[in-house]
Amino acid sequence: MVRPSISSVFAILAVAAGAVACSREDVTSYRVAKVPTPVVASAAPMQAASASLPPAPQGGALRWTLPAGWSEKPGGQMRYATLQAPVTGRLDASVVVLPGPAGGELANVNRWRNQIGLPPLDDGALAKARKSVKTKAGTVKIYDFTSASTPPTRVVAGLAEGKGDTWFVKMTGDASTVAAVRDDFMKLLGSLRFE
Amino acid sequence: MNRPTQKVWDLLTSLKLTIVCLSALMVLVVACTLAQVRLGTLGAVNLYMRSWFYWIPLGGFSIPIFPGGAAVGLVLMLNLIAAQAKRLELSWKKAGLWIVHLGLILLFVGEFVTSAYQVDARLVFEQGQTTNFLEVPRETELAIVDQTDPAFDDVHGIQEGALARGGTVAVPNTPLSVRILAWQRNALLGPARPGLPPAGATQGVGVGLAFSPLAPVTSDEQRDLSLAVVEVRAGDRSLGTWLASNAIEQPQAFSAGGRTFSLALRDRRLYLPYSLTLEQFRHDVYPGTEIPKNFSSLVRLQNPARGEDRNVLIFMNQPLRYDGKAFYQASFGKGDTLSILQVVENPGWLIPYVSTILVTIGLLVHFAISLRRGLRRAAAAQEPAPQEAA
Repeated sequence: MVRPSISSVFAILAVAAGAVACSREDVTSYRVAKVPTPVVASAAPMQAASASLPPAPQGGALRWTLPAGWSEKPGGQMRYATLQAPVTGRLDASVVVLPGPAGGELANVNRWRNQIGLPPLDDGALAKARKSVKTKAGTVKIYDFTSASTPPTRVVAGLAEGKGDTWFVKMTGDASTVAAVRDDFMKLLGSLRFE
Repeated sequence: MNRPTQKVWDLLTSLKLTIVCLSALMVLVVACTLAQVRLGTLGAVNLYMRSWFYWIPLGGFSIPIFPGGAAVGLVLMLNLIAAQAKRLELSWKKAGLWIVHLGLILLFVGEFVTSAYQVDARLVFEQGQTTNFLEVPRETELAIVDQTDPAFDDVHGIQEGALARGGTVAVPNTPLSVRILAWQRNALLGPARPGLPPAGATQGVGVGLAFSPLAPVTSDEQRDLSLAVVEVRAGDRSLGTWLASNAIEQPQAFSAGGRTFSLALRDRRLYLPYSLTLEQFRHDVYPGTEIPKNFSSLVRLQNPARGEDRNVLIFMNQPLRYDGKAFYQASFGKGDTLSILQVVENPGWLIPYVSTILVTIGLLVHFAISLRRGLRRAAAAQEPAPQEAA
C-alpha cells in the first residue's frame, strides 16, 4: 500500500491556492496597429443600468422634426436620444447634451475626427471646416468629415447651444450610408428648436 | 505519525468528510440557483461557487458563514487523493479504480484552472468592420492611448483593481501619471444641480457633470455605468482633471510633451496579434415563418505573423478555435448587420474531456478485470474436482 506524506498533501494545497490567488497587473500595455473606431457604441448589445433616465437639461429641451421614415428612442445618461434612419448599413445617429461648453468646440470636433482616424485641427482649420445654419434654436454649427480608411467612415454633426447646455446632434457611419440620408439629416438640423 | 497528524490524516481520508462535502455542494448548488434570480448568473456563481467562503455583513464587518464552492471543491479533491492513497492498493487488480480516481481528481483540477484562468470576452463588429481586440464586458479599464504615431497606438490600460484602490498610477514609457480622485463601479451621470455638486473635472466633456452612486447591477442583461475622476500629471505639472465614464462614448484627447493622448473608461480590452473582419452575417429563418434556422458569421481572419489570410464560417455550435481561444456565435443586432461573438479562452478546456475519457476507460478496465475474475471463478467452479488416487 502507498501512503503519501502529509507534507505532500499540503504542497498540493499551496499550489492550488497559489494558482487561484494569481492577480492581474495594475497597468497593461500594448502597441497595436490603428484600426478605425467602431461606429456602434461597444456597449450597445447590453442595456445600461439606468438607460431610462435621460439627463435633465437646465435650459429646456431641444426638439426637432423627424424626416419621413425616421424614428427616435430615448437615450440614457449622456445620450439624450437615438435617431434611427430608414436605411441599411452602418449608421449611428444620436443627440447628446452636456452642461456648459463641454470641453469646447475644438476639443469636441477633434474628438470626432479622432474617432474616424483623422488628425486634429487647429483653430484656423476649425473655422474653415465650420458651416452654419440658422434655426429656431439659434445658429447651429455643422461639421462634415470623411475618413481616409477603406471603406470610408463619415461623420456629420451639428452643435447647438442653449441656456448653459451644449447639444450635439451627430450621425456617424459608412460614407455611402451617411450620404444616403444626409439631406434628411440636414432638414432635421434645420428644424431644431428649444421647447 | 504522531497523534494530531494521525487525526488530521484520518479526517482527511474519511468517507464522512466526502459525504459532508457532497452535502455542502448540494446546498451551494440550490442556494446558487435561487440566487440567480436576484444576482444574475455570473453574480451568483461568483458569490457561491467561485469563492472560498460565503460571507454575510454583520454590523460593519463581514463574517463567513458557509464554505464556498472553491473551499469545498479543494477539500473534496484532497479527500479523494488521500482516500485513494490510503485505501487503494497499488496493484493491477485495482488499475481501473486508480484510473477512475485520477479522472475525478483531474475534473477538480480542471475546475480550479477554469475559475482561475478562464477569460470570457466578446467581439462586437458590424459587416465590413475589422477589429483586433476583444472586450471583457464585466471589467473596466481606464485607457490612456498615445496616438502620436500614424501607424500604431501605444495603449495603456489601468485596470479596475487599481482604479478602485485609488492613489497614483504611473503610465509606463510615458512621462504621465494618473491620480485617481474618485471611482464608482456604477453611477448615474448628469449635469450638476443644486445639491449635486460637479465631480471636479476641469478638462474635457465632463466639466460641469455630477454623479450619484448606484448599486452595481446584477442582471445579466444590464451593465454598470462606471466612472473615474482622474488628475493627469506630466512629471510635477498637472494637465487637469478629467471625468471618464463608459457613458461617454468617445475618448477625450489631450497633449503632453508634444505627443497626443486620449483617455477613456471602457470595457477591458484584450488585443489580438491578428485581425478579424465581419464579411457577412446571416440570420436565416424557416420559409414563411420567423423561426430562426441559422445564425452565422463569415469572418476574414488575417494574421500577418503566420502569413494567414482566410475566411472562416462561424455558426451555432461550430466555433472558430484559434490561438487558444474559441469564438462562438452568440448574438446579433442592428437589423442583422452586427454580429456578437462570445470568445472564451480557457487553458484548461481539454481537462474535462480528458477526465471524462479517463473515468470511462477506468470503468471499462475495472469491468474487464472483474469480468475476467468472475469468468475464471466460474470456470474453476465447473471443473471437476480432482480424484484422489486410490
